Amino acid sequence: MISPAARDRRRFVLLMLAPATVLLIGLTLVPFIVSVLFSLSNFSLITPDDFAFSWFENYGKMFDSPEFWNALRITVIFTIAAVAVELVLGVGIAALLHFETRAVPFLRLVYLLPLAITPVAAVFTFRIMLNPSLGIFNYMLKQVGLPPQDWLGTPGMALATLVVVDAWQWTPFIMLIAAGGLAAMDEEPLEAAQMDGAGPITSFFHHSLPMLFPYLAVAVVFRSIDAFKTFDIIFVLTGGGPGIATRTLNLLAYKQGIEFLSMGYAAALAIVMLIITIIASQAFLRRINLFRPKAAL
Amino acid sequence: MTKSPNWPQGGFHLPMSRRRLLQAGTVLAGAGVLSSAASPLWAATFEEVGDQWTSADIDWKSQSGKTIVLNAVQHPWTDAITPLIPLFTELTGITVDVQTQSETEYTAELPVKLGAKSASPDVYMVWAIGQAITAGWLENLDGYYANSELSDASWWDGDDLFPSARSFQKWSDGVRYLMPITAESQVMFMNQTMLDSKGLSAPSTMEELMETAVALKSDDVAGIAMRAKSSGDSTWPAGGFIFSYGGAIIDLDGKNVINSPEAVAAIEMYGGLLNKAGPVGISSYQWVECLNDYMAEAIAMGCDSSNFATDIANPDKSQAAGHTTYGTIPKAGSNPIKPNMWHWTAGINSNSANKEAAWLFLQWAVSKPTCLLSSAAGLATPRASAWASDGFQKRFGKQAADTALASLKAGDGDLFKATWFHPKGPQILDAFGIAVNQVATGAMDAKSAMDAAAAKIDADLG
Repeated sequence: MISPAARDRRRFVLLMLAPATVLLIGLTLVPFIVSVLFSLSNFSLITPDDFAFSWFENYGKMFDSPEFWNALRITVIFTIAAVAVELVLGVGIAALLHFETRAVPFLRLVYLLPLAITPVAAVFTFRIMLNPSLGIFNYMLKQVGLPPQDWLGTPGMALATLVVVDAWQWTPFIMLIAAGGLAAMDEEPLEAAQMDGAGPITSFFHHSLPMLFPYLAVAVVFRSIDAFKTFDIIFVLTGGGPGIATRTLNLLAYKQGIEFLSMGYAAALAIVMLIITIIASQAFLRRINLFRPKAAL
Repeated sequence: MTKSPNWPQGGFHLPMSRRRLLQAGTVLAGAGVLSSAASPLWAATFEEVGDQWTSADIDWKSQSGKTIVLNAVQHPWTDAITPLIPLFTELTGITVDVQTQSETEYTAELPVKLGAKSASPDVYMVWAIGQAITAGWLENLDGYYANSELSDASWWDGDDLFPSARSFQKWSDGVRYLMPITAESQVMFMNQTMLDSKGLSAPSTMEELMETAVALKSDDVAGIAMRAKSSGDSTWPAGGFIFSYGGAIIDLDGKNVINSPEAVAAIEMYGGLLNKAGPVGISSYQWVECLNDYMAEAIAMGCDSSNFATDIANPDKSQAAGHTTYGTIPKAGSNPIKPNMWHWTAGINSNSANKEAAWLFLQWAVSKPTCLLSSAAGLATPRASAWASDGFQKRFGKQAADTALASLKAGDGDLFKATWFHPKGPQILDAFGIAVNQVATGAMDAKSAMDAAAAKIDADLG
């Protein structure tokens, strides 16, 4: 028998949870289920009245398509390269800014600015700066006697440029998390190591970096998921080109859904992206034992 | 009857009666006075110009009190028509809610809205015609043309629309779903100072174009720039090359012929020009880079939309203002030139609850008086009478206007429609755009790239 107080408390809890639950169901669960259903159908906005379930036909078509495998390969390369660059730079900058000087608060603010800028606006600015004829980058190269570069013109260079732009925008995110980790770190072992004669570099690699590991793991998971579905930078700068050298899965899904109006096929692509993201992130988290209690390690 | 040798073939008529011409002249003169006082042409009041619409035998007030939503792309048409809308509201009592988006946002959002059978917008600019008609998102306009309360055929003067514009209105079933709102054609624009400095003249054949472009290229200036980005943007100018080489992308029987010898030769020339004489980074060039580079005198020649002329002629924007020569696309062998052409169109949402009001708006927006007003702001409208007006010629440049008209006349609307109006047009143009990009960057030869595009198109067409 539940007491009136317990009943009231239960009612209160349910009431408090209700808005979030409704929003979760309405904005996440329902669209997800609809997407799954679309992915199993021939749904096209051009012929919506011919809607029929084709079950796994879209998935079969996708796995048979060289375009899909090419897009997957590019997406994986882009994700790994971008997150690796951001990780190295973000941790490095956070470590440098950990030693408080008068300039550090100002520098911290400056380094965080890319995070605060609207992505599309920033990318359009990059597009202007990367313009081979009139852009500032080639102008600077010319000033020091170097030949102008075709930043987005060859497959390798285009992908590298996209990684650099992504790193410009998202390195501050890693920096912020790493800086938070460093600030929360227990300084005693570090002081002990320094008293034993360890230099700053040794201390960093043997003490600070291992202690930062859980923070960086979370940052890597967040960034990898985000980099895997990057759209704006690639769409504005290369549109997937040259050829299809930078056409990632997200761009392919956009093409199929928005340009070709093949919603069923686009939904199948989106579902596959979701499954890859879930499997990869779960595998990563399990591999590093992030959520296992320390006592069990 | 033809008043100018450059007007498009077939059906050009003296566009205005003497009375109308005087009225229009008065409007433009008034506009000139107003613009000289730093006020825009659109400052014309309804009292000054209203009788040009009220003289039509149309019950303009029949839909008074309604509000229609116009979805439009950020485009010169939108810029030109929006300031005139208060005149429409005064004429009809209909309020127009103009909702403008960038082309990327627009093409991403509107299909979803229309696909969900939304009643809004009432009127919209149509971006993928074949898709929109096949999906049933456009109202059949024939009934509105025939409705004597809502239309006045003699006042409307359909023959004043360019033949290509009239052709754009119709789908393969002969039904008019679209209202053409702009007119543009593919033209060459050349920096005359640069040509003169090398003792060169405007090329008239493709071979001469290659020689001229290569001769004009230097460390600081590229000989030529044309669109090459692989996102489909390059297909419009490259399509004009294919048509002028006697080829097609989708032929008039609906067959995929993108890897025909003519098409391959055309893309070999297009890509070769960019490869040998184009700027560094041509791979990411869309129309905006082509225009900006030309206006900054970073390239000597271009081959793109005639609508560039308004910006090129503007000395505030363009270093090439005052010394640009326009020409039609050069000849390829003995084939007739067939530059590409385009009319932006607008249509009525088939699920709109305000179709009559929407029709009145469309009719007003493309009527002679409205086109005359918007063309004086530099808009290339689909009406011959507006192109012939002093206001337009002054703003656009006479030589540019004459060349654009000659190109419109030479363009083959049916060949264009076979590809661009195809229900799977976006898929076809995507494959074609990738091929053009690969040839322009030298990643593939023309034959291999076009064969790959043909295979992809065949797979998409099923």
